[in-house]
Amino acid sequence: MQAIGNPEYPYNIYLVGVGGQGILTIGEIVSQAVNLQGIPVNFYPTKGMAQRGGFVKAQLRIGKDLVGPAIPEKGAHLVLAMERSESLKAVRYLKPGGDFLLWDYIWAPTAVMLGQAFYPELEVVKEQVQTAQGKFIVVSPSLLADFEGNPAPDNIFLLGIALRRTSLGKVVTFSAVEEALKNRFKRFTSRNLFALKAGYNLEL
Amino acid sequence: MSKEIVTGNEALALGALRAGAKVITGYPGTPSSEAIGFLLSHPELWKEKGVHVEWSTNEKVAFEIAAGAAWAGQRALVTMKMSGLNVAFDSVISIAYSGINGGLVIYVADDPGVSAGMAEQDTRGFAFMSDLPMLEACSVKEAYLLVPKAFELSEKTKSPVFLRLTTAVSQSHAPVELELPYYLPLEREILLERDIQKYTKAGALICMAQHRDLIQRLEKSKELVREMRLNELSLSKKRGKLGILASGVSYSYLEEGLLLASQFGLDPEEVSILKVVSVNPFPEEEAKLLLENSELILVLEELEPYMEKNLILLAHKLGLRRKIVGKLDGTLERIGDYSVREVLFGISAALGLKIPPELFYGIQAEKLAAPRPITVCAGCPHRGTFMAINNGIRKAGFKKDQVMVTGDIGCTILGMNPPFNTVWNEVSMGASIGIAQGYVHAGINSPVIATIGDSTFFHAGIPPLINAIQYQVPLTLIVMDNGWTAMTGMQFNPGTSEKFLPQGSRRVDLEKLIPGLGVENFWVVDPYDYRKMSEIILKALKLEGVKVILARRECAIQAMRRGERTGKVQVNPEKCTLCKSCLTITGCPALSIGEKAMEIDQTLCNGCGLCLFTCGYKALEREEA
Repeated sequence: MQAIGNPEYPYNIYLVGVGGQGILTIGEIVSQAVNLQGIPVNFYPTKGMAQRGGFVKAQLRIGKDLVGPAIPEKGAHLVLAMERSESLKAVRYLKPGGDFLLWDYIWAPTAVMLGQAFYPELEVVKEQVQTAQGKFIVVSPSLLADFEGNPAPDNIFLLGIALRRTSLGKVVTFSAVEEALKNRFKRFTSRNLFALKAGYNLEL
Repeated sequence: MSKEIVTGNEALALGALRAGAKVITGYPGTPSSEAIGFLLSHPELWKEKGVHVEWSTNEKVAFEIAAGAAWAGQRALVTMKMSGLNVAFDSVISIAYSGINGGLVIYVADDPGVSAGMAEQDTRGFAFMSDLPMLEACSVKEAYLLVPKAFELSEKTKSPVFLRLTTAVSQSHAPVELELPYYLPLEREILLERDIQKYTKAGALICMAQHRDLIQRLEKSKELVREMRLNELSLSKKRGKLGILASGVSYSYLEEGLLLASQFGLDPEEVSILKVVSVNPFPEEEAKLLLENSELILVLEELEPYMEKNLILLAHKLGLRRKIVGKLDGTLERIGDYSVREVLFGISAALGLKIPPELFYGIQAEKLAAPRPITVCAGCPHRGTFMAINNGIRKAGFKKDQVMVTGDIGCTILGMNPPFNTVWNEVSMGASIGIAQGYVHAGINSPVIATIGDSTFFHAGIPPLINAIQYQVPLTLIVMDNGWTAMTGMQFNPGTSEKFLPQGSRRVDLEKLIPGLGVENFWVVDPYDYRKMSEIILKALKLEGVKVILARRECAIQAMRRGERTGKVQVNPEKCTLCKSCLTITGCPALSIGEKAMEIDQTLCNGCGLCLFTCGYKALEREEA
């Protein structure tokens, strides 16, 4: 059974997280890096209504000049998720055989903290990704590297992990991402470059 | 040329600069805000060229400013979201009748799929209602290229022209070859023309003559649109079987959909495609060729079946019997945004292809996700207002479900959600104050409260307040003044501190404006001061007539961005009993439940201290900054 998102189509990345985590920045950096390589890209972020603390998603489609902004269901070669519960919202977009990289951060909504609502176990996400025939890669936030005594930016760290551990590395080069980071972060360049390298070199 | 990644909104703004627009106005509204937002953060692109860019008080004002400039012979752009067009439309119709002298492009962003909350309004209907041309772009790149064409069409027809984008295009980022220089100045003579036949609506003769001219201008635009080759028709290589008419973002999914459908029996060489860019006037000549060349036609357009109806009408006029697949036969939905799924579904319905359903649908893992209702940010001054309203209602001897609290557009609506559950409804800009008066006149015998933000109040809240004052309607209005148009991404507004307004601007102070209207019971309170706020609300609920409370404190996000905190709050673990009152009442995102005591995320907390009022054990301690 051929699924939507076969190799003739663009390489699709579905990004999910919570507002404030920097998931959209990952999308921006990858777009810029891809553009530096001269490859067409469409990056479609959906910020929703909250400045912070609300569901955020973004869709990246790489390799086609004119492409519909939304990734079809079962169309994403890669899902990058930065929050456990929100990661479930991306599962239906994962292409069978695609990579599902979860930064297993738990940002519990108030009702969950008060015991008024459930919060999914990691096992639930794993099961769902396996049902969707995806490759599940989970990284604990406790593995985040420190830079000069402070935690490195976790979104860029995750991007580094994705470059080495997922099919993203075949689409965009490490050096293009470095270049994009340098252009994006005129200040804090070194801590972001560090985070990218540390994520890339992380042993899982 | 410079190939840069820009958003659809930025492309629109850059296109207007390249087209030599002299005046660019708008009012913020998702998904359109970044057009003006981009220009205001890049004054180097236009400021020294004598271009005027502004956030106006509302969309009607923004439109009128742009229209005035276009009457005076210049090119002008006005930007808004679909709801804003409703506000501006009174003037749009009138200017449509008069016509213009320069170029006037009205950029409207529709939101199929509702990314931002509000109606799924299809503004193409307004183009038909006003007999104005409307162009629609299918991609970021096309948005950039279409702006100069829209201006050209506008100038040649002497008519305002709509340019419509939908969220998926306006919010997308994509590489665009930008022409240099970014701003291409135009030599336009300033026109001061006195002609009451054209510029007034005094009398039937004038109005009906203008109506005739308006219809003629739209007729003329038909020829121009053809000359400019705005719409693209590609007829099938083989005998035509399927014709597809696609407009807007639906077109961008077409290639992918066709390739997929070809795996299930579609022969792409039997397909003809008409891409509609000029939504109004409808490209009849090209549509005629499509009809003649195809056995059946699929129409792909989000929201309302406008193109489909046009096509059916045309087929009828031409005496062509064709099966037309779209929304009117029940194949496709009028609700939501489209993707490749609708393309594939439409093709399979038209041709009777068997496409396995599992191709369309993934598993529904999202049902297992925790609900995440959005709430106000840590340190948000609105939190204090919602808490105080709830407290004031209780102290006045009412239950929460006895006191109507009307809501309005913007961050202030977040009071509808837990833990506050304060606000009952949301209609349109400024509506909280009118709706509240309706409840009073309906004979409700408990107090009525209206809540509104500062920008929303400036936009459309002042006339309904004047109405309430004139008729001395007993209600309590709380203007939640955080100094910014926050929900749409922190734009300044007339009440923003002069420190953050463009040079030479003057702040309009609500503290002077509201009493100036004749409000006798008026208080200015800091919503961080929960006790005072509750006390004033209680007092207001007991008084007759119109009471207004100006709950004033700057947006916490903006203050935090400048590194300003009001203090530091810490938990004393010795005293904390983990009763969770602080979290239950405030719902503050900076609070979380630790193992032995509550914890505060110091990167989020700005020290507002509202949680202190909820703690019965004095376990929360605040230091003034």
